[in-house]
Amino acid sequence: MQGIIRTIRDGSGFDILLLGLALLYLIIFSAFPIIYNIIMSLQTVDMFTLTSFNRPFVGLQNYYDIFSQPVARTIFWNTVKFVVLSIVFQLSIGFGLALFFQQDFPGASYLRGLFLAGWIMPALVVGAIWKWLFAGDFGVINYVLTSLGIADDRIFWLSDPNVALYAVIIANIWLGIPFNMILLSVGLASIPRDVYEAAELDGAGAFERFRSITLPLMRAQLGAVISLGVIFTLQQFDLIAALTQGGPADSSNVAQYWSWQFSFQTYEISLGSAVSVLMIIFVIVVAAVYVRSTRHEHSY
Amino acid sequence: MLQIEIDHLNKHYGGFHALKDVNISIKQGSFVALVGPSGCGKSTLLRTLAGLEKTSSGDVRIAGRSVIGKPPRERDVAMVFQSYALYPHMDVEHNMNYSMRLKRRPKEEISERTRTAAETLGLGNLLDRLPKALSGGQRQRVAMGRAIVRNPKVFLFDEPLSNLDAALRVHMRSEIRKLHERLNATSVYVTHDQVEAMTMADHVVVMRAGVVEQQGSPLDLYDRPANRFVAGFIGSPAMNFLPATATENGALVLDNDSTQIGLNRHIAAGCKFWIGMRPEHLSLKPCVNDMAIDATVTGIESTGSMTFVVLEVASQPVVLAHSGRPETRRGDQVRLHISLDNLHLFDRETELAA
Repeated sequence: MQGIIRTIRDGSGFDILLLGLALLYLIIFSAFPIIYNIIMSLQTVDMFTLTSFNRPFVGLQNYYDIFSQPVARTIFWNTVKFVVLSIVFQLSIGFGLALFFQQDFPGASYLRGLFLAGWIMPALVVGAIWKWLFAGDFGVINYVLTSLGIADDRIFWLSDPNVALYAVIIANIWLGIPFNMILLSVGLASIPRDVYEAAELDGAGAFERFRSITLPLMRAQLGAVISLGVIFTLQQFDLIAALTQGGPADSSNVAQYWSWQFSFQTYEISLGSAVSVLMIIFVIVVAAVYVRSTRHEHSY
Repeated sequence: MLQIEIDHLNKHYGGFHALKDVNISIKQGSFVALVGPSGCGKSTLLRTLAGLEKTSSGDVRIAGRSVIGKPPRERDVAMVFQSYALYPHMDVEHNMNYSMRLKRRPKEEISERTRTAAETLGLGNLLDRLPKALSGGQRQRVAMGRAIVRNPKVFLFDEPLSNLDAALRVHMRSEIRKLHERLNATSVYVTHDQVEAMTMADHVVVMRAGVVEQQGSPLDLYDRPANRFVAGFIGSPAMNFLPATATENGALVLDNDSTQIGLNRHIAAGCKFWIGMRPEHLSLKPCVNDMAIDATVTGIESTGSMTFVVLEVASQPVVLAHSGRPETRRGDQVRLHISLDNLHLFDRETELAA
């Protein structure tokens, strides 16, 4: 016993203890739920069998059921649009702002700090505020668009099936910009100034410096931000719940919300699990890309 | 022919006056060292030449044309940075020919000039390595190669050797000097190491707090320092200073001591001076036209060929340089012989050479 205490205090036991705690945490809170979820996606789970583990095994039947749902196609394309458009705009606007605040002007760091405000707010609150902004009758956005003459008539952002998805995407872009900006700012700040100065002396103009110095040196950060952005976007639930609940008629529904609807609204738990397992597989692919991209980090 | 003319140059950072009325003329083909302690403005001056810093007033002309307000790329200058500032994502070859690729030179010319520069610097077999796979000395060479391939009017060096170990630094000093002669270029070299400045440059500019204290050939500065700062900064080990006051009869009396030093020159009674003595002009044996003072040996530092004897004279530390190995030990009472022909006098108020 005393030997164990000694090795924990000043031997390799301490390393094993720390490792063990982290591993235990991962097993209980990550590995177990994921594996349990995968198992549920291969079983028939409903309200009655929820508490027992001994449930009928149905193989890939749940996956087959999902794809045979008439809305599956809509939801798949909605999810693709939601992720791609969110990432493209979050990234380009966030990168633009990061570059802008990298310039040396008075108050740059304070203004940059101000952008964090959007990030701190709960997505549910952000959703509630955007709901007012988007409101068809009294929303500020419609007011601005019609008074500037950009739109002839009011747009029913949240109840028109043709635009509801885009309204959610716009709100999500706004929500994701600060994260992109802060992470990319950190990356930009880590590029030594004298590398740019050397490029300037070598004859590179501002655009050329961006193309041949900034972009390649930001590769790891851009990879990280894109992969994390994909994961966060696939997690985005609160905003959809607050704005449209996937409606009208699933026109703004996406995979993660659909999975939640199966599991917690219609209690087709095994279908919900199957959707989430498909998402996990996709996220694992993205995470692998992320890990690869961070491995390429440069040392100065 | 003058290659660089710096004319009444001033630089302010907000309320801080970083460069104060700097005037320097640099001949085509010369090697100029800007030397001074940290924060003296030498790097700022270099960066101003490069176009990386704006000037507040005054003029800078390169090859007769004012470059004020011109961006770095229009000045035809190349710079070697202290940190080397290599492009971390480009291999050695691409680091070196980046400037030519930007100018869209023909492919054959690019590879030809890159190869020549790489051969010159002994980098021929490293062309496909990334900077992170190079040693400090190799990185330094790549940084120089990047400057050489451009064949610029002026080379600027910002403490390029300060990150190298001592032996390599001494080696690279002569390499850079040789390269400078071969390319017949004009070089401006910033360093805080006065030995580097003395051994490499043919014109040394000593700066302090944004002011050019003195400029001239290395030996000129060594033999005729204009003020106490330059006298103390140039030379290793540094010049010794003893405080003294002039008497009625035109001699100097050391403070804290009654020793009189007779000088063959007229000085006003009551004036306070620093007497400056180079370590090699002091001796433990009598020499020509000297005078002797009592001293105590407080330390002996031998490098083998040279021995530095630390003495206490009139409660002041004094270092003596002795070639060979003197037979003296710590605590010995000795007679210190001062060569009167090589004394320097500095006014204690103005610090200027008297």
